[in-house]
Amino acid sequence: MKLRAVGTLYRHELRSSLRERTIVINGILIPIFMYPLLLWGMFTAITFVEGLNEGFTSRLAITGQLPAMHTAMRDSLHALDGVEVLTEIEGDLDAALARGELDAIVALAPLPESPVPGNFRVELIHDRTETRSTNARDRVEALVERYRAGWLAELGRDLGLDAADQQIFTVRTENISSARDVTQQLLGMMLSIFLIIMVAIGCFLPAIDTTAGERERSTWETLMTVGVDRGSIVMAKYLHVATLGILAGALNVIALMVSIGSVLRPLLVDSDLTLDVALSPLAALVMIAAAVILALTFAAAMMVVASFARSFKDGQAMVTPIFYLVFLPILLGGEATDASLSTNSALVPLLNVSMMIRDAIRGIYIWDAIAITAAVSLALVTLLLLLARRVLAFEEFLTGSFDGSFWRFARERLFARG
Amino acid sequence: MMTHLHTPAVAVHDLRKSFFDEERGEVTAVDGISFEALPGEVFGLLGANGAGKTTTLRMLSTVLTPSSGSATVMGHDVVKEGERVRRNLGFHSASTALYPRLTARETLEFFARINGYPEERLNARVDQLVDRFAIREYEHGRIEKLSSGMKQKVSIARTIAHDPPVLIFDEPTVGLDVMNAIEMVKVVNELKAEGKAILYSSHIMSEVEKLCDRIGILHRGRLLALGTLDELREATGEHYLEDIFVTYVTERAGTADAVPGIFGEPGTPPAS
Amino acid sequence: MIGPLLRNELRMLLRDTRTLLIAVVAPIVVLPGWILVSNFVADREEERIESATYRWALVGEEAAWGESIIERALDLPADSTLGDATFERVGEGNDSLLSASEVELVVVARRATEADSLATDTPVLEVRYRAESDLSRAARERFVERLEAVREAERDRRFRLAGLPASRAELGVVSTTNVASAGKEGGRLLSRFLLPFVVMMMLGGGSIMAADTISGEKERGTLETLLTSSARRSEIVRAKLLAVITVGLAVVVINVVNLAIYVTIGVFDLPEGLALELAPAQLALLLLLFLPLAGLVAAGLLLVSGIAKSYREYQLYAPVLFLAFLIPSLAGLLPGLSLESAIVLVPLAGVAVATTAVLVDAWHPLWGLVAFASSAGAALYLLRRVEGVLSNERLIAGTDFDEAEFRGGPALFPRHVLTWFLGLWVLFFLASLWFGDVLGVRGQLVINLVGIFLGGSAWMVHRYRLDPVEVLSLRRPRWTAWPAVLIGAPSFLVLGVGVSELVNTWLFPMPESVLESFARGLTLDLGLAQIVFFLAILPGVLEEIAFRGVLLHGLRRRLRTPWAAALACGVIFGLFHVSLFRIIPTGLLGIVLALVVLRTGSIYPAMLWHLLNNALALVPDELGWISPDLAVPGWAYALAFVGMAISLSLLRPRTPGAPRAPSPVGGVPPGGYSP
Repeated sequence: MKLRAVGTLYRHELRSSLRERTIVINGILIPIFMYPLLLWGMFTAITFVEGLNEGFTSRLAITGQLPAMHTAMRDSLHALDGVEVLTEIEGDLDAALARGELDAIVALAPLPESPVPGNFRVELIHDRTETRSTNARDRVEALVERYRAGWLAELGRDLGLDAADQQIFTVRTENISSARDVTQQLLGMMLSIFLIIMVAIGCFLPAIDTTAGERERSTWETLMTVGVDRGSIVMAKYLHVATLGILAGALNVIALMVSIGSVLRPLLVDSDLTLDVALSPLAALVMIAAAVILALTFAAAMMVVASFARSFKDGQAMVTPIFYLVFLPILLGGEATDASLSTNSALVPLLNVSMMIRDAIRGIYIWDAIAITAAVSLALVTLLLLLARRVLAFEEFLTGSFDGSFWRFARERLFARG
Repeated sequence: MMTHLHTPAVAVHDLRKSFFDEERGEVTAVDGISFEALPGEVFGLLGANGAGKTTTLRMLSTVLTPSSGSATVMGHDVVKEGERVRRNLGFHSASTALYPRLTARETLEFFARINGYPEERLNARVDQLVDRFAIREYEHGRIEKLSSGMKQKVSIARTIAHDPPVLIFDEPTVGLDVMNAIEMVKVVNELKAEGKAILYSSHIMSEVEKLCDRIGILHRGRLLALGTLDELREATGEHYLEDIFVTYVTERAGTADAVPGIFGEPGTPPAS
Repeated sequence: MIGPLLRNELRMLLRDTRTLLIAVVAPIVVLPGWILVSNFVADREEERIESATYRWALVGEEAAWGESIIERALDLPADSTLGDATFERVGEGNDSLLSASEVELVVVARRATEADSLATDTPVLEVRYRAESDLSRAARERFVERLEAVREAERDRRFRLAGLPASRAELGVVSTTNVASAGKEGGRLLSRFLLPFVVMMMLGGGSIMAADTISGEKERGTLETLLTSSARRSEIVRAKLLAVITVGLAVVVINVVNLAIYVTIGVFDLPEGLALELAPAQLALLLLLFLPLAGLVAAGLLLVSGIAKSYREYQLYAPVLFLAFLIPSLAGLLPGLSLESAIVLVPLAGVAVATTAVLVDAWHPLWGLVAFASSAGAALYLLRRVEGVLSNERLIAGTDFDEAEFRGGPALFPRHVLTWFLGLWVLFFLASLWFGDVLGVRGQLVINLVGIFLGGSAWMVHRYRLDPVEVLSLRRPRWTAWPAVLIGAPSFLVLGVGVSELVNTWLFPMPESVLESFARGLTLDLGLAQIVFFLAILPGVLEEIAFRGVLLHGLRRRLRTPWAAALACGVIFGLFHVSLFRIIPTGLLGIVLALVVLRTGSIYPAMLWHLLNNALALVPDELGWISPDLAVPGWAYALAFVGMAISLSLLRPRTPGAPRAPSPVGGVPPGGYSP
């Protein structure tokens, strides 16, 4: 293997990939632009729907009466913002509710038999499947509960219980985490998944284009006839695929970190959460290392599989299952948000890298587990490269005349003797 | 020069085709050509790349619509009766590929059926084609697995599957090896003997010399000459078709509307 | 004739085993796998939270009192309201213990301080937790729940002691009754994902066929073979459409059956309450509604396949189509959207709402029919377009060599202009997203106007060696242009208010508060001079250069009619005002300004118009001359209408038949602009 030859070929591969529209758009442009746009669109839609909900006027019908002392409640119902009390409903109220002409029925009833004078009951009749109806119920319920609390407090005062006697004690909750802690937790969850997927996407098209695509364009043989050993050619292709994977991963992580604040802010307006996006240098270093490991793994795996394909389309069909596998560790690691990388989980490829990234962003470094992760990942890469060498030793691959049948290859090469 | 014993199978009158191009505006690819082709005759269209051969033939096959002028195939107008025209026509070119995932036999069945060949005689017809082109051996093999020679046979068989009276071969030997090209010429001759009217376009002089009864020389969308080989020889005083062709084209290049440098170099000055 | 074509298409697809395996079979196998794994993980995580022993520490001056309350709280037995949880006290502790995950909660028992805004000697239990830890949050919830229960019990006891003859819980009882039938509840639940699911499966499944069928045929070179056969183009397109529909529906059915199997064998459970009690009539209606839907999706896929030149290009365009179809299919989720509304006119969205209506028994035959017809009509229209694409000679007979690409220069610009503006839009969007906060309003305006609009325009002029005078229409207009602008700008502004009101009433019925929160970015604290400079003069000049100069120039040469160019120019201008609610008014302004340029042949009147428009919209408001919620009276609209008419007629070029293209050579034609 000659380094200079590898360098020349590597530049050649990289240039031709960066001139291919599909690779640039799918690997670089779409993620940088589309994801923020989609997220923004999604959140705009959520705000829009929320706005619609708030904007609905709740149409109520009130039946029955309350004891005279509670007329105030009825009045405040009429005065409630966004509520319209309908009085001119003909016929059956339940039917009107079913027809959607009415959002809720407030059935008031005095309880004269109750030992406490002025006791009453309120029944809110609504249709749970209609947003407007649940909305109306919530508004009325909140009002009635407030009124009830006031009435009970008044009863207490009449019985000689002052505010402190009624309050007894107060429960407060206080979040001690800083905005940075919360943001790091959020970033850790998102980036650990995002980086893996993005590196895989970045490797996907180049890996196919540089193998199956070359065969389709009949440039494979052209390349194999140049005066460089085949190892160099394959190495250059491999490194170029990995480079594009790293590039896609890095660009996407940066784009996500830059836009996440602006994208999420509208959602956080009402909560007391604030975002503070930052990444320590050590965490960045771990992420870069992770991206390299991931890119080397995906590039090798995808190229081995794509080498069997006759055409680009074929290649896509064959490499897609690798994506299914990529999602597994994400599913496995996705829920346990508190868990850190342990010496056990470090043994599971991909999951370990994902957890390592998450820990790093949160500022947790468990070095022995990280060492195991590195060892496992390197072993995986080595294994895949050995497999690649075995595949490429198959002569028909080199001449490009292989008919693409994986089973034939397996029969003749992997299981045959000698 | 015209044999009036037969009605023409293909009649082209003042056919014109221009494309609209954003920068260059109207580009005229075919500029008012007229000719006729008779049953049992091979009519050759000779011209360089971009001379308008393919555009002309595509208009005859109704893939393109003429800008003006008229053309009929077996008396059917190419604009108004597209379907009937195509029914009477077999079109073969380098860009009419075969479906890779169909077998040879299915290909023939499909194209015979879709071109309206009577269902009850369809099997017999396909058998006949299979025998004629000796594809019995691999009639159940998928096209994608066949060699290029086999594919070519299937492709010709597909062209004549519905037994059309008019056949168009647009540069059929491009990219074929010697044996396949010879085979192609042989088949065209056989079809001619069967009484088909054949339009044959090519830029390979020897082929046209050997095969065509009459030759039209097409250059920049115009038909510069039309006649049998002997008539052309007589008109130019040259013997070889290649020289005849060059004479016509360079003569043309001398006139005002020509722009040099599209094919070859204008380094060969007009002989006179 | 369609029969053999269709059979041929399907047969070929079925032989493409590799694609079928990956696109159809693999998801069927993998999907339940994923669900299983994620269910397993979710269960395990839930169990971890459930079975966890929550560690807590107590501090504070009232620790002894706090301990007694907490002891009572933690001794409460689990019941229907209180969950089961194990708590363990970890001696004394403070926040550092919490930060180090040694405990889940730190409870501070103290007296209220002024910061609490309570009566000062109220005892307070402060539960401190970490929001980013699942365990800590779960612990807080359970802990607080129990504390509140203790408090309520104690309160009730005190009321009783004071002489209340009943329990507090019996007083003023509020109950809720849900009258929705089980069938309706199930229908609502189903309606939330039925249509998006069907559309997604149709898109995914149909795409397998569509990718192969036109773009694939082009790539393999079989399209021309097919076109020279005697099958008609309409027949070919219909056969292909049926093939796409068949495959799409097959994938829908396969996936439904697949789901049913996994539900039956208990791999995973249906959401609770999902009662599938569809009456035969409902089912029939649903199937009927899915017909135009299937046709629409298939025609869309086919159109993309027809436009793309190769399989790869198809893949590039398809996701855009997926989005364009998925979004309207979510219309059924919009709260309060009734079938009896304008939504039925929107293809796909109408069917989505109609589907929901069928499922929740709100079906209305007439409106349903309109929804059906709008989608069916859209499908037929797309189908015609596909036929058009197949007849498009450029696609069939296109030459490989493109002279203009090599020559470059002005000839190439019209072809690239839209891509350029897409690029500018991306920059515009990202700049406001990424740097919006850093830059503030002024900085953002300068970046957008000077950096993106002016810079982009200058770069395009330079890159394509365009003639600035010609591109920017830098000519003196006829004198009538000036009074026309002075009349037109205020009139248009008034009409714009009307349009905005119409939009807000009919298209986006948004409450004020929401509109305000969207407009938040617009409220600013600039003085009058700055408002005039940053919001009227700068945009008036620079936006005109970019949109009515460079963009309009490119569009004029790309689109056949001036009207189409003006329309396109307006739409693009509208899209640059990212907010959904400003697109329509600004788009209209863009169209009018483009017409002004096309009619006068000069950009200066458009600049003045734009400047006046912005100034008139902002300055009177800023100076407090008019109140923001001033209602425009009807006569003002009438007057504005007349004003617009006068203005446009003043702008009319001397010869009738306007608007006209600028003269091909730059420079001022004698007498201002004339043909």
